[in-house]
Amino acid sequence: MTSLRILLSKLRGLFLKRRLEQDMQDEINAHLEMLIEDHVRQGMTPEEARYLALRKFGGVEQVKETHRERRTLAPVETLLRDLKYGFRMLRRSPGVTAVAVLSLALGIGANTALFSVVDAVLLKTLPVEDPERLLVFEWQAGRQYRTSGMSGTSNVDGPPGTRSLSLFRYDVFEKLHRAQSATPESPVSDLFAFAPLPELTAKLGDQAEIVDGQAVSGNYFNGLRLNPILGRAITTEDDRPGSTQVVVLSYQLWQDRFGANPNVIGQQFKLNQQSLTIIGVTPRGFNGTLQVGFNPAVTVPLSIEPLLRGDNSNLATANSPGVWWLNVMGRLKPGATEEQVRQSLNGAFQTAALEAMPPPRKSSDPAQLAPKDYPHLRFEPGNLGMMDRRKSYASTIYGLFIVVALVLLIACANLANLLLARATVRRPEISVRVAIGAGRWRLIRQLLTESLLLATLGGAIGVLFAFWGKSALVALTDNETGLLPNGVELSLNWRVLVFTLAVSLLTGVLFGFVPAWRATTLDLSTTLKESSRATGRVSGLSKGLLVVQVALSALLLVGAGLFIRTLYNLQRIKLGFNPENLLVFRLQPERAGYKEDQLLRFYQQLFERLDHLPSVSGATFARVELVANENWSNGFLLPGESVDATEHDTMRQMVRENYFATMEIPFLRGREFTPHDNLHAPAVAIVNQTFQHQYFPNEEVLGKRIRFTDDNKLEVEIVGVVADTKYDRQRDQDQPLLYTPWQQDPTSIGEMHFALRTVSNPATLAERVRLVVRELDSNLPVTQVGTQSARAEATLGQERLYARLLSFFGILALVLAAIGLFGVLAYSVSQRTKEIGIRMAFGAQVAQVIRLVIWQGMKLVLLGLVVSALIGYVLKRLLECEYFAPDSWQQQMAQQLYGVKISDPLTLIVIATLLTLVALLSCWLPARRAAKVDPLVALRYE
Amino acid sequence: MADTKHVVLPGTLNLLILKTLASLGELHGYGIARRIEQVSDDLLELNQGTVYPALLKLEQMGWIRTRWSTSENNRRAKYYSLTRAGRKQLTVEEDAWRRTSAIVTRFLTPSEK
Repeated sequence: MTSLRILLSKLRGLFLKRRLEQDMQDEINAHLEMLIEDHVRQGMTPEEARYLALRKFGGVEQVKETHRERRTLAPVETLLRDLKYGFRMLRRSPGVTAVAVLSLALGIGANTALFSVVDAVLLKTLPVEDPERLLVFEWQAGRQYRTSGMSGTSNVDGPPGTRSLSLFRYDVFEKLHRAQSATPESPVSDLFAFAPLPELTAKLGDQAEIVDGQAVSGNYFNGLRLNPILGRAITTEDDRPGSTQVVVLSYQLWQDRFGANPNVIGQQFKLNQQSLTIIGVTPRGFNGTLQVGFNPAVTVPLSIEPLLRGDNSNLATANSPGVWWLNVMGRLKPGATEEQVRQSLNGAFQTAALEAMPPPRKSSDPAQLAPKDYPHLRFEPGNLGMMDRRKSYASTIYGLFIVVALVLLIACANLANLLLARATVRRPEISVRVAIGAGRWRLIRQLLTESLLLATLGGAIGVLFAFWGKSALVALTDNETGLLPNGVELSLNWRVLVFTLAVSLLTGVLFGFVPAWRATTLDLSTTLKESSRATGRVSGLSKGLLVVQVALSALLLVGAGLFIRTLYNLQRIKLGFNPENLLVFRLQPERAGYKEDQLLRFYQQLFERLDHLPSVSGATFARVELVANENWSNGFLLPGESVDATEHDTMRQMVRENYFATMEIPFLRGREFTPHDNLHAPAVAIVNQTFQHQYFPNEEVLGKRIRFTDDNKLEVEIVGVVADTKYDRQRDQDQPLLYTPWQQDPTSIGEMHFALRTVSNPATLAERVRLVVRELDSNLPVTQVGTQSARAEATLGQERLYARLLSFFGILALVLAAIGLFGVLAYSVSQRTKEIGIRMAFGAQVAQVIRLVIWQGMKLVLLGLVVSALIGYVLKRLLECEYFAPDSWQQQMAQQLYGVKISDPLTLIVIATLLTLVALLSCWLPARRAAKVDPLVALRYE
Repeated sequence: MADTKHVVLPGTLNLLILKTLASLGELHGYGIARRIEQVSDDLLELNQGTVYPALLKLEQMGWIRTRWSTSENNRRAKYYSLTRAGRKQLTVEEDAWRRTSAIVTRFLTPSEK
């Protein structure tokens, strides 16, 4: 078509400019010469000939200009010209440009880095074919329905009065699957199930290790349309009981532990003592479909889950119909909708669910059961895998986004001020342009081009900063900080780069538009008449921007201060035991197949060796690790209470006899446990002070008997009282805690946390410990090894992250604001040289001049502090507001601090002082320059 | 008859150029301008330079093609000729012009009855 032709021609004109320009010159010159020659031939003199020729030709320059414009793409030419001009302007003041670009780079870089986190955690879809067509199946029923047993996490929101789950029982899934495959016109092409198998014992080489895995239905990989990079995937054949036991490895495991050896296919691999055949390896980047952060290293068919879990199997056994533990996903056929799926499968599901669940409690009237209360299916998009945990990361990430956005805004404010100052200087130039006819928008466009140029340069360098920053970010964060889940890779992919470009352009327009607008608002007559220097008065807009910058920096720094104090407070909390020189590790013999009497024997043997390790002054263990976010609680009844009474709650702990001595927990009254407190002796317990005060405030607690309400129905006599300790978190208040001796309940000692008090550095002992355990049983992995203090410290990861990041960004914001303040004041002083000269000539002292300038700046800083105080107050009221749902991210944010209020006076005073001092420095430097003004020079100089 | 000169109406320049090239075959820019002046008996006041932007447009539309060669006075000059599409366009423009002038003529003629 013709428009394409024209476009191509114009493009050609754009690229071949010089040659075509020369051609045009040649052509016109030739024409003129021929015209002149004709005239000469007609008898004119050369001058007359030339004169007439030019007249006949018409305006040569006009023709050339028209030709030029038509020849090429005008907008592109204009843009190129503007860019060249912009570059020139920037090069003129390299220092200022450098500072501007640097501040932009820091702001944009921080945003980019954080967006890569958003992308990796919240946006990354499963690396399978057409993830948009995957659906996560969930179900909902009235509260009257109860599931017989549940295993796994399910964080689904539903309307009040109902419960929603994303977990299915195997028989229910089977029936659903049968219904789906029986209908060829079903809107679902594949229906598959999967579930996590956390903490499997894997025998890798001669070491035993703990890995996470997942169990999947036979058509899992088919439904996902995922092809392995080596070997083959699990099929429905493998999912039949009795077929060869197979396992698929993850890319990560294959790389790390098998050296990416292509010959692993067919090798045997031991998981939980079961020998499995490796049949394939999944591609890189595939981390299963479960919660983000849970990366299964192995995938096995559902049918062998009972082999791996033994009595703990979640599938149906002889004793129980199984539990609700499977996640279910389906793949939609092209064009199918959720509604169609609901219509097609809800019936089958409801029938299956009603069969599987016990009928509602007798107390509820069947007539009152609305149809919405019957179990029915609901769906969520499956392109990200299971979504639940992602949402909890969202709150931290969005909180940080607010912070980096603020920093970027501060940088923009700096640049806006810079451009405003420059615009005033360029007034005469601009007015001349307007006078000869340049359109206002044309000028604005040119000025905006400069801003966009700055912004894009800043963005490009920002990407570089983000690239470096993301490794720092990954190093700073781990599972504990709630920002980045494990195994998530941050990459600067095209989505992130597009984001950076968009932010850069937006930033450029943001800080560039108003100065450009201002600069082109001209009253020509006055501007051209008055002298080229402005009055040096700082515009209201500039002042406003500075105030905003100071306010934002103050807020960020106060936040940083609060978190630093929180961290400090948390680290200072008395734990109730001595965490120094304590090596801790975990053993889980039950997973390795130990039965109760075997456990007792094993621990005896182990302690015989541990007790005699050199440099170990005490070896003990407990069921629950302290200050590790773990807990174990039971309900119980006090003496004399009947079976129907409301049960009381206490935290539980199970320990070795020397526990209190080794952990240095003060023992108060009664007697400690002894090795004679075993199965043949009466059941005893020791309680802490909080327990005593809460349940036996006015009586003697020693000798009382209490009865647990769980399945064991154990009854214990309290024989001792011990001091309180922190239990699961440093920041929690003391809770009632009840200890029992380890030998008296072999069913609960399948997993124990050991603690060794050492005389010197505990870390060196770790390898000895591993050796000792391996001597006794080479199939038993030693996990969670570390020093107690380090592990306790690690639980403060989130607070530490906030403190670090807020400090970094707060200081960054302060530096930017200080630079901005300095810039504006320096400019103002340089413009007011004449005025200062006059003042000094009239007798003003140097000190007065200095005070003048400093006060000009400090006025704004103080105003900024006031504004930040106001904003802080509003925020405080907002966070304390009762409207927030419990567990919402606002509530979570409000509960982050410890031991310090949001309005903590010490923090506020320190930050205000810091800001004032920095601001004073920023004002002092231009003030000094003002003081150096020589009145004679100033008055003469125009 | 030769008192007043008429300015070339915008848009008709294309038609004149195409017709010139159709009649005379290949010409350079000066030749076209001279020819237009001649044919109109010097009645058309033409700024000769204006042919060049017009020629550029015609070339962009694909109606004429160009070729560098040597002119009669041994200068390097660009020669223009009609393409097949150009010939078709000429017919189109001629018809359009005749129709327009016919309508305007009818408008100006006093109506009978």
